[in-house]
Amino acid sequence: MNADFVMETSPLIHVEDLVKTFGENEKGKKTIHALNGVSMDIRKGDVVVIIGPSGSGKSTFLRSLNLLEVPTGGKIVFEGTDIMDRSVNVDQYRQKMGMVFQHFNLFPHMTILRNLTLGPIKLQKKDPKTAEAEAMDLLGRVGLADRAGAYPSQLSGGQKQRIAIVRALAMNPDVMLFDEPTSALDPEMVGEVLDLMKVLAKSGMTMAVVTHEMGFAREVATRVVFMEEGRILEEGTPDTFFSHPKDERLKAFLSKVLV
Amino acid sequence: MNGLIDEFYRNFINESRWKLLLSGLGVTLEITAFALLLGVVLGFFVAIVRSAHDKTGKLGILNRLCTLYTTVIRGTPVVVQLMLIYYGVFASVNISKVLVAVLAFGLNSGAYVSEIVRSGIMAIDEGQFEAGRSLGFSYAQTMWYIVMPQAFKNVLPALGNEFITLLKETSVSGYIAMEDLTKAGDIIRSRTFSPFMPLIAVAVIYLIMVGIFTRLLALMERRLRNSER
Repeated sequence: MNADFVMETSPLIHVEDLVKTFGENEKGKKTIHALNGVSMDIRKGDVVVIIGPSGSGKSTFLRSLNLLEVPTGGKIVFEGTDIMDRSVNVDQYRQKMGMVFQHFNLFPHMTILRNLTLGPIKLQKKDPKTAEAEAMDLLGRVGLADRAGAYPSQLSGGQKQRIAIVRALAMNPDVMLFDEPTSALDPEMVGEVLDLMKVLAKSGMTMAVVTHEMGFAREVATRVVFMEEGRILEEGTPDTFFSHPKDERLKAFLSKVLV
Repeated sequence: MNGLIDEFYRNFINESRWKLLLSGLGVTLEITAFALLLGVVLGFFVAIVRSAHDKTGKLGILNRLCTLYTTVIRGTPVVVQLMLIYYGVFASVNISKVLVAVLAFGLNSGAYVSEIVRSGIMAIDEGQFEAGRSLGFSYAQTMWYIVMPQAFKNVLPALGNEFITLLKETSVSGYIAMEDLTKAGDIIRSRTFSPFMPLIAVAVIYLIMVGIFTRLLALMERRLRNSER
């Protein structure tokens, strides 16, 4: 019961003063500061949308949350555990953090069904029959049950990304991280992916999303964050964020993307 | 025409000389098969160590040993390696020549296989690693379930090429007085003084072996390709 109490009051992910530098200790290379002390709390049910110009560190930040990118300094506490602690087995925590990539990264040598069941069977030791039934259920919900036996190369971009989302969902994660999920899609396929993400958000899934889709941010986000030069310059509810931006650079950025 | 038949008789039928070729072929295949096995095991091991080092920065000492191994093996002729192992390393030990040959050719092949496999691993998109790791798979599990199956499929033609090379390279086994296929042809020549026919027979047998090998590989490739792309 004590654990539940902690869950209720403390954030799902607590990020403190995150720093990431590239090219340090390498001769002849300029040190690049991708993250300059980013702090953020993501609570259960939050949909945090991170926007910013390219090179602002927003993807680096998102990829740091499950340590695909290892920060050089700061602290990430996930469900009460400091996952940057060397003694922590991060693989275990990654199972609870689903991730969706810009380029889908489906496994091309496996069927769609196998893509979905690999994690549950090998990592969660689920009975293959159970895992397949659950995967089929998920596929049905995104309208792709008939493609279970297909290979990724036989799907459209939008279908691939929806599969990538349900592959992450098949692990039953506590939070979903989206790294520019629609940036590699043809325009006519962006809608189907955003729709699925909206359904997910409505179902109460905790989400952190890096995107350029301002419409999505306005409609779905509980909080919008603007990053530039590895810092958070402004954050707020979509309403205040888009209607009354305070930071000059955010104003300039919005005037460019909200044409 | 009669002269040709005569010569054929002298070289292969008389004193059952064809048996020399047959047992020579047996020795060649024996060496090749076991050297192949050793080479593949060694090659995959070295490739996995080296790519793990490239990707994670760990295994520094092991990586250096592996680099030294490929450098030395690829930098010296296989005949020299074979003789060094036979007359040097095992000079004072009573050891089967087949074992020496398997060791020499296996060690040699392993270095080439390792580079082939490593190139296959490095060619897999980084996103595949990231997808595996983000699901919660360890580095080893990601390699096993996600990266290696794709890498193996991609390098199969190059591996096949290496195997064909290996089969023919064993023809230098005569240097340590093994009676492999090439040596068998030599023995026949020394008895019959025929300049060409035994050599042509040897060449044809190698060609047939390589042909069978190629067909098997093509079959395997097709089966693996059936799935994707």
